[in-house]
Amino acid sequence: MNNFLFGRYLPGNSWVHQMSPQSKLMLSFYFVIVIFFANNLASYAALAALIAIVILLSGVSILFFLKGIRPLIWLIIFTVALQILFSAGGTVLWKWGPFSVTNLSLINGGFIFIRFLLIIMISTVLTLTTTPLAIADGVQTVLKPLKKVKFPVDTLALMLSIALRFVPTLMDEMETILNAQRSRGVDFGSGSLKHRVQAAVPLLVPLFTGAINHAENLSTAMEARGFSDSEHRSKYRIYRWQLKDTVSWLVFLLVGGLVLYLRK
Amino acid sequence: MDKAISFEQVTHTYQANTPYAQNALADVSLVIPNNSFTAIIGHTGSGKSTLVQHINALLKPTKGSVQVLGKVITSATTNKNLKAFRQHVGMVFQFPEKQLFEETVIKDIMFGPKNYGVSDADAQQAAKSAMKLVGLDESLAEKSPFDLSGGQMRRVAIAGVLAMKPEILILDEPTAGLDPRGHKEIMDLAQQLHDKDQMTIILVTHQMDDVVNYASQVVVMDEGKIVKTGTAAEIFADPGWVYKMQLNLPSSAEFAQKLVDSGVPIGKLPLTIDQLATKISQLVAEGADTDE
Repeated sequence: MNNFLFGRYLPGNSWVHQMSPQSKLMLSFYFVIVIFFANNLASYAALAALIAIVILLSGVSILFFLKGIRPLIWLIIFTVALQILFSAGGTVLWKWGPFSVTNLSLINGGFIFIRFLLIIMISTVLTLTTTPLAIADGVQTVLKPLKKVKFPVDTLALMLSIALRFVPTLMDEMETILNAQRSRGVDFGSGSLKHRVQAAVPLLVPLFTGAINHAENLSTAMEARGFSDSEHRSKYRIYRWQLKDTVSWLVFLLVGGLVLYLRK
Repeated sequence: MDKAISFEQVTHTYQANTPYAQNALADVSLVIPNNSFTAIIGHTGSGKSTLVQHINALLKPTKGSVQVLGKVITSATTNKNLKAFRQHVGMVFQFPEKQLFEETVIKDIMFGPKNYGVSDADAQQAAKSAMKLVGLDESLAEKSPFDLSGGQMRRVAIAGVLAMKPEILILDEPTAGLDPRGHKEIMDLAQQLHDKDQMTIILVTHQMDDVVNYASQVVVMDEGKIVKTGTAAEIFADPGWVYKMQLNLPSSAEFAQKLVDSGVPIGKLPLTIDQLATKISQLVAEGADTDE
């Protein structure tokens, strides 16, 4: 439970920590888009160099990034394997029934692997250096233009921050319920599939009951304090665009241009 | 008396080897005798809950070993064998009503025994006697636990633990949020299980009155260490130290302390209401004597 990386903010005061959340958010999106333009060794190398610099600037140990990959390792292996076994073209190196490995498919598989790695790295940088609440605020700022078309941006941001706020609470609660049912003799995570599904019921029912209770209590508390979503709300946390943001964007745009230049 | 539980130099670190590493228990050694009533006290975050979770093998020691009813748990114990530990150790968590999930009260109480391989008929029998023990009316058996009041839900949860017929019962603040009558009934139940059914009771509590009224042994924890073990009289003999531990005196002792502060010669502080009443009636009698 505890090696869950989601929402795992690491306090710090690095360059990346100090950037405003909205620009970190947009930079991450931008970076992911640029990744899909890269298609040869040189362009991937440029992106890898950039992410290496970002990780250095974030001041976070590389171990945390490696841990972030672990939960996704099977997805990555599966995708890479599909790519290697089923893509056509190039010199055939090995063939068995519908499966074939060619030199091109090997290269493509390698690229897909790097792509995954880069995307995980950038999103891990974002979540490790930005508090969940700051991310919610960032989303609100990024979506602000949608207000013009009557999209409920503020409500959405509130929902997001409430959801994030309750992640640790519900995790704690899950831990307690797990322990309570364990001491009543439930064996979680062993036995047949049927047994495991049955074991989930004593966990999920109390967890949902608890979540609904929390929601009711929270809405009562909000109403008691006069909350209304039609009000214009001012902000307690204000994130200003800083020089660091401008510099980072310039570097990222530069690397983006470089990738377009380097790609085949 | 045989020992039911013994801790030998147990250290427990949460999230070891990460920047979040936290020592919750540091080099704890403790013996809890069979059929004792032990209260564990200490301020919030002193390691009480971590300590009791070791007794139920919900946590394994990072260093050292825990022995429960003759079985040993160390960091090397595999998860597979833990179920056997738990069968004889019942644990009532804080706000245990949160663990209810079944459609009916009786099914929820039968859940524990059935997990340990008890037949349906026997589990039902055990559930019915557990309901009687905790004072739940038989007419509630087929109701949904979610339709009951908070106090009744708490009783269902406790009955669910008692139906497993544990030899050791751990109660982690069992009366938090209950009304005074519910509080007394739960504590009297604990005493009855101790006296009549020979259970070893471990009570984690912030209620010093319960400590003096029920416990035969008191363990005081601070910052993951056991700082004092003894009878309630020994623990509360030094009010200054008790306050330093961010704890309170029992209300009778507190009352007597105020009398002492205003010049009434009490002598040794009384711990229970009965002792306080005796003391005061003595003083009144002596006062009447000197008046004459």
